[in-house]
Amino acid sequence: MQDALMNALTQMAWPAALAIAWVFGEVANRWLSLPRISAYGIAGFAMASSQGGFLGDPSGEPVARLADFAFTLILFEMGYRVNLQWLRHNRWLGATSVIEATGTFAAVFLVAQAFAVPQTPALLLAALAMSTSPAAVLRVANDTHSAGQVTERVLHLTAFNSILAVIAFKAVIGYWVLESAGSVYQAIWHSLVVLIVSGCIGALFGVAVPGLLRLTRNPDHNPTVAFAIAALLLTALTHTLNFSPLLAALTFGMVARHRRIVLTQAQRNFGVLGDLLTVLLFVFVAASLEWRHVTTGIWLALAVIAARLVVKTAATTLLARPSGTGWRKGWLTGLAMMPMSVFVILLLEQTRHLHSGMLDDVAGIAAIVLLLEIIGPIVTQQALRLAGETQRREDR
Amino acid sequence: MALESFKAGSALTMGVELELQLVNPTDFDLTPTASDMLDLLARKPFPGDVKPEITDSMIEISTDIHTRHDEMLAQLRRIRDALVAAGDRLNVGLCGGGTHPFQHWPERRIFAKPRFKELSGLYGYLAKQFTVFGQHVHIGCASADEGLYLLHALNRYLPHFIALSASSPFSQGVDTLFDSARLNSVFAFPLSGRAPFLLDWADFESTYFSKMEKTGVVKSMKDFYWDIRPKPEYGTIELRVCDTPLTVERAAALAAYLQALCRMLLERNEPPPREDDYLVYNYNRFQACRFGLDGFLVHPQSNETLSIREDILLTLRRLTPHALALGSEAALDEIQFVAAGAGNHASLLRHTYAGEGSTQSMVAEAMIQFRKPRAT
Repeated sequence: MQDALMNALTQMAWPAALAIAWVFGEVANRWLSLPRISAYGIAGFAMASSQGGFLGDPSGEPVARLADFAFTLILFEMGYRVNLQWLRHNRWLGATSVIEATGTFAAVFLVAQAFAVPQTPALLLAALAMSTSPAAVLRVANDTHSAGQVTERVLHLTAFNSILAVIAFKAVIGYWVLESAGSVYQAIWHSLVVLIVSGCIGALFGVAVPGLLRLTRNPDHNPTVAFAIAALLLTALTHTLNFSPLLAALTFGMVARHRRIVLTQAQRNFGVLGDLLTVLLFVFVAASLEWRHVTTGIWLALAVIAARLVVKTAATTLLARPSGTGWRKGWLTGLAMMPMSVFVILLLEQTRHLHSGMLDDVAGIAAIVLLLEIIGPIVTQQALRLAGETQRREDR
Repeated sequence: MALESFKAGSALTMGVELELQLVNPTDFDLTPTASDMLDLLARKPFPGDVKPEITDSMIEISTDIHTRHDEMLAQLRRIRDALVAAGDRLNVGLCGGGTHPFQHWPERRIFAKPRFKELSGLYGYLAKQFTVFGQHVHIGCASADEGLYLLHALNRYLPHFIALSASSPFSQGVDTLFDSARLNSVFAFPLSGRAPFLLDWADFESTYFSKMEKTGVVKSMKDFYWDIRPKPEYGTIELRVCDTPLTVERAAALAAYLQALCRMLLERNEPPPREDDYLVYNYNRFQACRFGLDGFLVHPQSNETLSIREDILLTLRRLTPHALALGSEAALDEIQFVAAGAGNHASLLRHTYAGEGSTQSMVAEAMIQFRKPRAT
């Protein structure tokens, strides 16, 4: 009897958590002007069992697959908004991207060394810190109807630093596999092969899906559903084969955009489906964290966050004028690139088959994720607002 | 504020203003980046003039005063190249076209400048719906009275300009069946339409403008949205019915067509304009907006029904000596090419839609047309 009751409660846990997080998100957005995703994060963290809540550790659970899917949708949209032509016309933008990403890697590695973090975790931490969370940036930009130079630059730089972060992360994993297992074959498999095959799968989808849509062309048909189903398929496929869904989804979006076969507007955020999955995604990420991990790495976390912020804003500010915008907008671009939580957690989650305790091993990461999950979107929202690119309420 | 005195200058000079769309190359919607574009353009000398317009997804460029078509075209091309280069650096697409085919007007933002905010407060949603893009052509006049004469003598030729320039077949995502849907937005304003029939500047000033000013309805000529209006501070009349064409070549040709037409009208070989000419004015204008070159107009003095296309081709023949004198044969060739075969840009955009099946593809095509350097 008690078992049955417990079972029923467990079944209820995630739907109830989503409902609570959503209500909290609306309230916090209405009364505190807090970005909804920050509120979902706070709710998720509070409801996790490690904090005495009712949500069990979600990593490895089926809900993790759903979170992967949610993130794939976001990365696809992110990739779809990247215009590679822009890099050709504005080389300084490409330079900004490389400098801010590699600069962050170097700075964070040095900080970790100063905190006596062993070499491999320090390298992993540095690779993770390169990335800006596409989920946070895209959600905030879409929620505030933001448009303009800062928005465009943040989206592009985020897509690029996410790709660079996956590459760096996989390279470190390869190095780590080589060191621990001593197998060159395995090391190459887990880094180079994974990267190349993931990219190829994404590109294949990017060619095939628009082609299919072209074939079944129906002028009234909205391609959103087709892209969502393809994203679902892509998540399942890359996950089963242990490739990188992140890289595949970004490539899928970018290639689909540049194939430009179907010039129809897919719904922003994948409409209601995207909104629903976003609640799940941000609750999931925060629920993966444990208070004890957060407290142990807090000083390292603060130092990493500061170093990361300084390097990113310095790069975007110094290269603002050559890349065609002003100092102020450059600075705001760097500031808006603060979030990094979702990307990190899912990258770690997807590396579970190699090593499941990464959150314990990479010191400081839990604290960084928690702080930036809450603060990151607020900073992004303020930066876009200061840039004058968000839709003012009276304008709607 | 009294009406400014008419700054008479040299006759038959011309100047062009083009309102252009700023679009996002990802989703092809309008994008509020006028201030970013203006900031970047301000770093280098601009080969003309560029300024913001009422919503911040549009910018307006203008040329210097020209007497020759080839010089006007050369400047327009330099302006176009500078704009395209700036847009490329900022990931902003530029294009012509009288309307954006699918923009959602409630999303437009009013450019932060007092006059625009004031207009938005007065006109409400009309101000945002006024996110339409026109070409204005100024023609210099030797005197104010000559300006008024030209303004009214042009009434019967107005449909030509609407039909030739029309490039706004779609609005808010649907085919309006009009070639120029843009003008329907302009007609919504209370002070749009035709100028009062007065041929004497002193009369215009004392019996019309000062009375209107006393009513408090207008403060300056800027408040009139007439199809053709005098611009006393420039010493010009300003034709405002053209949609912004998709190419600067077409824009320069339209200006030169007007210039040649004015030269012909100033010979005063045609019967002088009368108030009664305006009986058929709105009907003719509707025909040109709705059907473009395939429309029919009623000649205001002979009451004959004429095909707009045929009427343009006939007019071109009468303009040949004037084009020769002004050095604008190339421009009239372009007009001939449009009227005799190629059709206006509204039909080009409809054709794109028929082939590609999406309104986004129309914007993509308009961006290609705008940046493509053409040999002619």
